[in-house]
Formats: sequence, structure tokens, C-alpha cells
Amino acid sequence: MATTIASINLTSTDLLSDSLSVSAIATLTGAGNSTGLTLTGGLGRKKLASGHAQYTLFDGDAYANGAHKIYLKNTSTTATEYFTIEINSEQMGKLYAGDWAFFPWEANADTNDIKIDPSADDMTLEYMIFIDE
Amino acid sequence: MATTATLTLASSDIAGDPVNVTKVATLTKADSTNDLDQSSGLNRVHLRSTTQKTLLSASATNRTPGDNKAGKVYLINKSDDASLYVTVSINAQTVGKLYGGDFLFIPWSQTDASANIKVAATNWTSSTGDIPIEYALFHEDQDFLTNA
Repeated sequence: MATTIASINLTSTDLLSDSLSVSAIATLTGAGNSTGLTLTGGLGRKKLASGHAQYTLFDGDAYANGAHKIYLKNTSTTATEYFTIEINSEQMGKLYAGDWAFFPWEANADTNDIKIDPSADDMTLEYMIFIDE
Repeated sequence: MATTATLTLASSDIAGDPVNVTKVATLTKADSTNDLDQSSGLNRVHLRSTTQKTLLSASATNRTPGDNKAGKVYLINKSDDASLYVTVSINAQTVGKLYGGDFLFIPWSQTDASANIKVAATNWTSSTGDIPIEYALFHEDQDFLTNA
């Protein structure tokens, strides 16, 4: 069993009339248990050179139904460049330059692919998956 | 009006070498370096039903494909019970299950007018007790939410 920690801090001193500071720490465990996730795809980068074509980053068919966790980051520094993130054919949202996302992925159907679609050529997405066996 | 989101992923033993990833994002408006300037605030609700509930409603009138607006959603299952989970969906598509203590932070662009964010305490029973969740939306555009 491995121990993997994910923590988040959301902070702002001027969005509200009082300071915002939200923190949480999660230990990444298997579905419905306290056993730490033991597999990872490692930290990777995918550069999509041209055509703005949608690309399947994680294929639902290749993973069992489980408590997987996904990290994504748009490494672009150009504010107008974004990746559209989809699960199956449902759009989650647009990951703008410098943004990251972290979310659970159940892969409960072969069609539940995670797809990315860059808004420009030569954009790079950083990603990582923590896998529930 | 900067709001920052910091993620850290750390493990000393999931791989042969330690994992230590820290990323900071400044939450900005779409296609811009201007900061997001609106928030729902941090909300807390208790789920005590297996029935799917709409947590955040997509605008039925304002969002159209290509109408770029930026929004970020933070959601956490505050249950202490690792077996109790909340199934998170966008429209009819399941994203995943947040088990006790798990959180997510995702972009939410609402380019699909039906792209409501929904939650269900799928394995709740009267004996498990409530499943508390907390959530916040950071966004631009006063019409981003139908209930804003």
C-alpha cells in the first residue's frame, strides 16, 4: 500500500470583503476502502502539434471501474489558449493557460474516455493518473 | 482581485522515486489575464437521499457553444467514512465518485446548457447518516448561473 496525498488551497485576499482561505487534504484510496492507491501512470506531457483534433487522453476501456484520480494542467502561458475537457461526449469545461484540474474518474463504462481538444497548435497538457486496481 | 488555487500531489512510495507535484493557478476570466471576480462562497449541504440533486445549474439562456466563460468548481465530500461516496455528474455523464475526504477542482464552462453539476449520495441509507459536502464556484459574468 502506498500513501499519496492530494492537497488543495484556495486563497484570496480581495475577492471578498474578508480573506478567503480554503484548504483540504485527501489521501488517495481505493473505492470504498482506506487502502492507498498503488499504481500511477506517472507525470506525463502531451503536445498536440496541429489540427486542433480531439485526442483521447485516457481510454475508459483500458481501466477498471474504480476510484481513479486525474490531474491535468494546461502549460500554455498564452491566455487565449485552452484545452476543452470532455468525458465521453459531455463537456466538462475549458482549461485555460496555467489552469489545472483534479478530479475523480470512475471509468464505469468503456465509452467514458477523457478527451482533450486544444484551441491552438502546439499546446502541451501535463497529466497524471492515480489508478485504482 | 486574485484568487489562487494550489494543488500538491505527494507520495514517497507510489513509485520508485518520490512524487512531489505542486501547481499554482491564478483564476482568470476566459481568454484573459483578468481575475475572476465573483464567487458563490463556500457552501455546505448535507445529503440524505440517494436521489440525484442539482448542485449547480447551468444557464439555460446565456451559454451557447463558443461563448467562452470561465468558471471553476471546488467540491469536497466531508464525510469521515471512507466508504460513503457522492456520485458527481455533469448533465447525464458521471464524472466520478468522491469518497469520504476526496475533493475535486474542475473547470466548468457550461457550453452545454444542460451541463448542470449534479450529486447523489448513492450509497446513503438511513443508518449511514448524512453525507456533508462543501462546494464553491468561482466565475465571471452575472448570468453564469441561472440562480446567481
